[in-house]
Amino acid sequence: MNLGARRMTAASSEEAAFEALFTSEYARVVCIANRVLADTHEAEDVAQEVFIDFHRLHSARADYAPAWLRRAAAHTALNRLRGSRRRQKREVAHVLREGDRTLDPQQQAEVEEDRRLVRAALARLAPKPAAVLVLRASGLSYAEVAQALGVGIGQVGTLLRRAEAALRKEVTRGTSN
Amino acid sequence: MAHLTDGTLRRMVDDPDVARGDRAHLEECADCKARFQSIDGDARSIATLLAVPEAQVDVPSAFRRVSSAPAAQPRFGFRWPVAAPRSRPFVLAFAAVIAAVGLLATGVAVNFRGNWTPTTVTPVPVTVADVQALSQLADYGSVTWTKQPTLQIVTNPADASAAAGGLQPPTVSKLPSGVSTTVTYGAMTQAQAVFTFSSDKASAAAAAHGKTLPALPKGIDGAQLTVTVGPAVAEIFGNLKQASGSDVSEASLPQLVVAESSAPTATSTQVTVKQIEDYLLSVPGISKELKAAIQAIGDPSTTLLIPIPVQYATSTTITVQGVKGVALGDNTGVGSAVIWEKNHVVYVVAGSIKQSDAINIANNLK
Repeated sequence: MNLGARRMTAASSEEAAFEALFTSEYARVVCIANRVLADTHEAEDVAQEVFIDFHRLHSARADYAPAWLRRAAAHTALNRLRGSRRRQKREVAHVLREGDRTLDPQQQAEVEEDRRLVRAALARLAPKPAAVLVLRASGLSYAEVAQALGVGIGQVGTLLRRAEAALRKEVTRGTSN
Repeated sequence: MAHLTDGTLRRMVDDPDVARGDRAHLEECADCKARFQSIDGDARSIATLLAVPEAQVDVPSAFRRVSSAPAAQPRFGFRWPVAAPRSRPFVLAFAAVIAAVGLLATGVAVNFRGNWTPTTVTPVPVTVADVQALSQLADYGSVTWTKQPTLQIVTNPADASAAAGGLQPPTVSKLPSGVSTTVTYGAMTQAQAVFTFSSDKASAAAAAHGKTLPALPKGIDGAQLTVTVGPAVAEIFGNLKQASGSDVSEASLPQLVVAESSAPTATSTQVTVKQIEDYLLSVPGISKELKAAIQAIGDPSTTLLIPIPVQYATSTTITVQGVKGVALGDNTGVGSAVIWEKNHVVYVVAGSIKQSDAINIANNLK
């Protein structure tokens, strides 16, 4: 095989590996971003941005690919949450989804208000505790959370506990204001 | 038995089957039981608070969107040099930026009585505006190559060394896990360029841009700055995705690049350090950060400035192989680099690896 042909084969197998990675991780990455943003459309935006960033700089065959994508999803979504680009109006407009439609208007209003408060509180947390909460709430195991954040598995319980205490404090502060 | 830690108790909320000893302690210890209940309560209420309706995704159509996205625009208008596609306009633009930053570095550092031979490195923050402002300096005179650089990509260290005038590629003692062992070598011959300042060109350039640029200092017209760089060799680990045609998005950063180059040197005529420094820093668009960083440099005649895009990376000064070096950690965690100079050789270790790995490679380079 000449050099050109070999390069083409390498490029197409890299593309195939990226597609396989995308197929296996996309839903999880959206789920993490959605947990932060409570907005499926914006979560998909974040997920696509994360995959494009990854593809630009890394090989889809890298061992660290899933962990990288999950961490990037949490941090990118949290950055958006903190950013001023995100308008309250959109936030409220998009939280209504299938699952909420069984609620009466009063309950719906309460659910929306809770989500707004908890997201505002999440935005005020430091990046690491916020990421721990979001990753665990998205169904990652302790081992997966540890990998995504580059910490020892033994630390996850402690980080999670501190993050939960911090979030509860922030939510209370938000409510009392 | 000592009381259980908060972390252990939190883990027990999710996984009641943890170590039997801990479970037994919890059963008997009123203090731990009370803490467990409070931790359990918090965990449940946070889970409720963070609950969101499940996102329904259409993976194939999302993949099509990502595949067709006009991807890979450099996030801050910067792209790593190794990721530069081979397209001519891009290379020219990139060369202009390098030349401008090089001009700034040498301009600030050159002592007109002697030569500039840096012996240490110092990071300076550069904004996109700085680069744009400095690019205009390329219009202030003319560049002629007295030695054109040639670039070669080869597959073995002996060829690289031969192409780079005998400079031996460095040896990495241990690769971090996840980095490909596929290695290619790059070699660049020594290059020398002469920049001649021209007042006429400068005013013409200013007029063409519709901007008022500060007039060149008296006596600088016709001054010459001779800069010598290289030779250089680099080891490139990982598969370099080849750009297919002119598709910019295909270019990618290799996992790891280890490079060494003879330190750049410069000589100048007619010009004093103070004149050039004052002049460069008066160009509109130069940021306060860059001005402050340059003015803070003690002895510019022995310092090689490493321009760091401010929004792109954070830099710290570290000790590498017993000398002062610069470590760059990218804020997003996607890449890092270490740069240092020892015995008139500049070394760079860079790639999509953790900063701690980059420092480790740097310290163990042979």
